[in-house]
Amino acid sequence: MTTTPTTLTDPQAQALLLKLTVLADDEIILAHRDGEWTGHAPILEEDIALANIAQDELGHAGLYLSLAQTLGGSDPDQVAFWRGPDDYRNTRLVELPKGDWAFTMVRQFLYDTSEALWLEAATRSTYASLAEIAAKAVREEKFHVQHTALWVERLALGTPESERRTQAALTELWPHAAQLFQPVEGEAELTASGILPDLNAVHARWTDLITWHLVDKCGLTLPDAPTTQPGRDTHTEHLAPLLEEMQSVARQHPDAEVW
Amino acid sequence: MTQPQSSSPDTQWPRWEVFKQDAPGRPHQAVGSVHAGDPPHALVTARNVFVRRPAAVSLWCVREDDILTATPEELTTHPALLDSPGETGTYHVGVKRTNKRSMTFVDLSGTVQASGSGDALRKAQIMHPDVLAWMVFPESAVVRTDEDPGTVESWFAPAKEKTYKQQQYYGVIGRHVGELKRAGLMPGRAPSEEGA
Repeated sequence: MTTTPTTLTDPQAQALLLKLTVLADDEIILAHRDGEWTGHAPILEEDIALANIAQDELGHAGLYLSLAQTLGGSDPDQVAFWRGPDDYRNTRLVELPKGDWAFTMVRQFLYDTSEALWLEAATRSTYASLAEIAAKAVREEKFHVQHTALWVERLALGTPESERRTQAALTELWPHAAQLFQPVEGEAELTASGILPDLNAVHARWTDLITWHLVDKCGLTLPDAPTTQPGRDTHTEHLAPLLEEMQSVARQHPDAEVW
Repeated sequence: MTQPQSSSPDTQWPRWEVFKQDAPGRPHQAVGSVHAGDPPHALVTARNVFVRRPAAVSLWCVREDDILTATPEELTTHPALLDSPGETGTYHVGVKRTNKRSMTFVDLSGTVQASGSGDALRKAQIMHPDVLAWMVFPESAVVRTDEDPGTVESWFAPAKEKTYKQQQYYGVIGRHVGELKRAGLMPGRAPSEEGA
């Protein structure tokens, strides 16, 4: 390991703050979509499991936003509950409505694999605080991958109906997946400094891993995806109603200090 | 087994008993059950349902159909349980000693060599005559979590750092029952018939 920078330059701190915010935004929005299954999952055990996964993702958002706070970011609750759709920087992948169980599992699989690989690389960050939270979060994320990979496999190789739904989910989600690997402004410099993982390398590993699972193992087809995408500031019409619901309690009780 | 007469199909997957080990060297204990379609699914589900908070180092799952249980009363009324068939081999023996526990129900206490599940039950009864119930199942029916560091790290380590609060931690509306008891404000037992 090279020398560990204990202090960041101002531009580095700004870029890292932005990166941590977009990571947290993905976690928060996906956790909300997963949470929508509470009481509605196909079986009680999976209801509990998905609620667990959602709580883990929210926990990761908390880790990211707490670190962002040390770089000048706002209070995590403020960031989560008092920004509107114009300020959220989550991917469109995570904001799409929850769909059926196949849609939820395929999305979670695409997301979990990307997060697990990114976090695994981030454990080698030269910025010790980031390496530390990555080491903590990657353990849970590896377990998520096992759970969602298992589900995708059983659905894809299950009945003709489950296979049809799983392929339909992948076809709908796939055009949005590459968005997980869009860099934020200033990210290249942080990667060069060893502070952030090399996103292209993570993307390549992710493509290998999900192609092996989805295509080779599960017999699914990866559709064509657009070569360019709008950025994380462009949302679907689904984000605004999600935030409205997610933030309604906090906004009704702005003075609440203890939940 | 006869087919159920009901016209509504059984929508549940098979039931699996879950055994959790809290720490190396401790017995695996039955903590409850999950429904799952196959062995890996049972383990993943068991982890989510039973290991989010409390500490664990290992999980076993065993399909309900592979488990034989009996109470002393059941053995008196159904002695044929001791003739239950099964493979010859190693059987795990579990015992339930008390009704006063919550969260765990049966401790696995060891293994026996038996010619079938009934024979294993007979041996369990001899080894542990004074218990509330026995449980036996063949070693071949057990699915286990891997013991490699990666599995332990991603399945079990995170739970140790999560906040685990007893129910009493949470506030109540009105006054806590403990407070009322200490103040002598809780009603006692219902008056007995002799006393009435």
